[in-house]
Amino acid sequence: MKRTGYLHDLRYLLHDTGPHHPECSERIQAIHKGIEAGGLTGRLKRIRAVPAQMRWIEAVHAPAYIRRFEELCLNGHRIFDFPDNQMCPETYEVALLAVGGVIETVRQVMAGEIDNAFCAVRPPGHHAEVGQAMGFCYFNNVAIAARYLQTEWQVQRVGIIDVDVHHGNGTQHIFEQDPSVFYYSCHEHPTFAFPGTGRAFEKGTGPGLGTTRNWPVLPGQGDVEYRQLIQEDLLPEMDRFKPEVVLVSCGFDAHEEDDMSDIRLTTAGYSHIMRQIVAMAERHAGGRIVSVLEGGYCLARLPELACNHVKILLGEEVAG
Amino acid sequence: MFVHRSMTLKVVTVRREAGIHEARQLMAHHQIRHLPVLDDDDRLIGIVTDRDIRGALPLEMFKSPDRCQELCQKIESITQIRVGDIMTADPVTIGPHDTIEDALLMFQRHKVGAFPVVDAGGRLTGIISVRDLLRAFTNVLGIGQPGTLLCILVEEKVGQLKRIVDAITEEGISFGSVLVARYWDENKRAVFPYLLTNNVVRIKRKLKSMGFELLDPMEWYLDQLPQHEPKS
Repeated sequence: MKRTGYLHDLRYLLHDTGPHHPECSERIQAIHKGIEAGGLTGRLKRIRAVPAQMRWIEAVHAPAYIRRFEELCLNGHRIFDFPDNQMCPETYEVALLAVGGVIETVRQVMAGEIDNAFCAVRPPGHHAEVGQAMGFCYFNNVAIAARYLQTEWQVQRVGIIDVDVHHGNGTQHIFEQDPSVFYYSCHEHPTFAFPGTGRAFEKGTGPGLGTTRNWPVLPGQGDVEYRQLIQEDLLPEMDRFKPEVVLVSCGFDAHEEDDMSDIRLTTAGYSHIMRQIVAMAERHAGGRIVSVLEGGYCLARLPELACNHVKILLGEEVAG
Repeated sequence: MFVHRSMTLKVVTVRREAGIHEARQLMAHHQIRHLPVLDDDDRLIGIVTDRDIRGALPLEMFKSPDRCQELCQKIESITQIRVGDIMTADPVTIGPHDTIEDALLMFQRHKVGAFPVVDAGGRLTGIISVRDLLRAFTNVLGIGQPGTLLCILVEEKVGQLKRIVDAITEEGISFGSVLVARYWDENKRAVFPYLLTNNVVRIKRKLKSMGFELLDPMEWYLDQLPQHEPKS
């Protein structure tokens, strides 16, 4: 049995995106409900959020962007650049708590206090660019965690696996020149899905050529194709790279019942992906995985998806 | 939409007296495949392409190493070939105030890769290649911005597009582009709005409730292969 951390903080509910927005606080509640219903709360090390130190935010984002976000938010603006990015006065603080919570979780894993963890954070992060909020994302939680691992823990090779159904343009751009961070993303083909990047020919630039990898999945594809891409591409790439720590950009929106995409992964398909990632992390990273919530909008399916996800981190059997 | 807005302004040109080696080096150095040929008064008299040059080189040299000596003598004669000997004289040109649609249709008709752009005074002012057009149409599609593409099948009657645009606008969603394509079902059009948002769940539902058909992405197409094989 693994010592698995679970970052859950009610303050993540305070980021109010207004009516009819898919990235809503009910997502976190659905996830928590699933974990409770699975009888897992007692077996998890509960982690509470702390606000991130500014130096970690600045390790990724431009100071002018951070200031602009704070000012617009505190001045009561409801939209940050795109109508997708709905805000309320608490959004900036909650975004700091999301980053801070993920960093604290990573710290506990690196300090050996826990083996791995799942961070149920809002707002998500993987679309956020150095100086641009995008696709419901403000601060790039996972990218900042990777910088923290490099700086604070001298980690030489960070593996980021992004299974959200959308391409993590922000994370890719932040690390595309950095050979010490491998960004691997499988997502719905960009011709059919937001944000329109993440084509197979995007493989990194300069010294980072080869440590960015995109695997577009076609509309209607699902378990069979993911099984194949993991076996034939993701695992061989990671076995070559040998990450010391694995960060997962965990989007549950490729599920067949999630209407944000046309991808048809089943609940069992998600479990398969996570089992493979856990086994890979055992081989290379001493089991160190920090999985961070990105998308996933089907409130009816989030409980079981999150429950299975955490069970697999704990090392428990999951059907399917 | 004018050619002069999308063409390459800095044109690399060559004289008809230049040797093919020089022409080839110019192409390699500038990573281009077309050189307009100018006379002493800087008037356009021809165009030479990488294909013209390749056609002038003896292919046998690569294929028949045992005839090398004989072929080496041929090299002597190759060095004598001038651009003027292999160029296409009086090439098809386009004007700076023709449109990129003109260029598109002309490319289809003439099956070349680039047109020299010549103004009313006969002066070479630029060159427009298939690649320039691709760039222009990448911009038209708006795919440089983050967004989501939908495909809506509509009956071909007045007012359909307005209903779609109104519905999307009511949701507060901005457009990156809207393409309307002929659909090969009778009396149908395919409308492709590129929406600058990640949040298309509600608008998709709304369009369906308005009676529009949203096509399965795997069924989308802008083009259909010709029904009959072209004559060989």
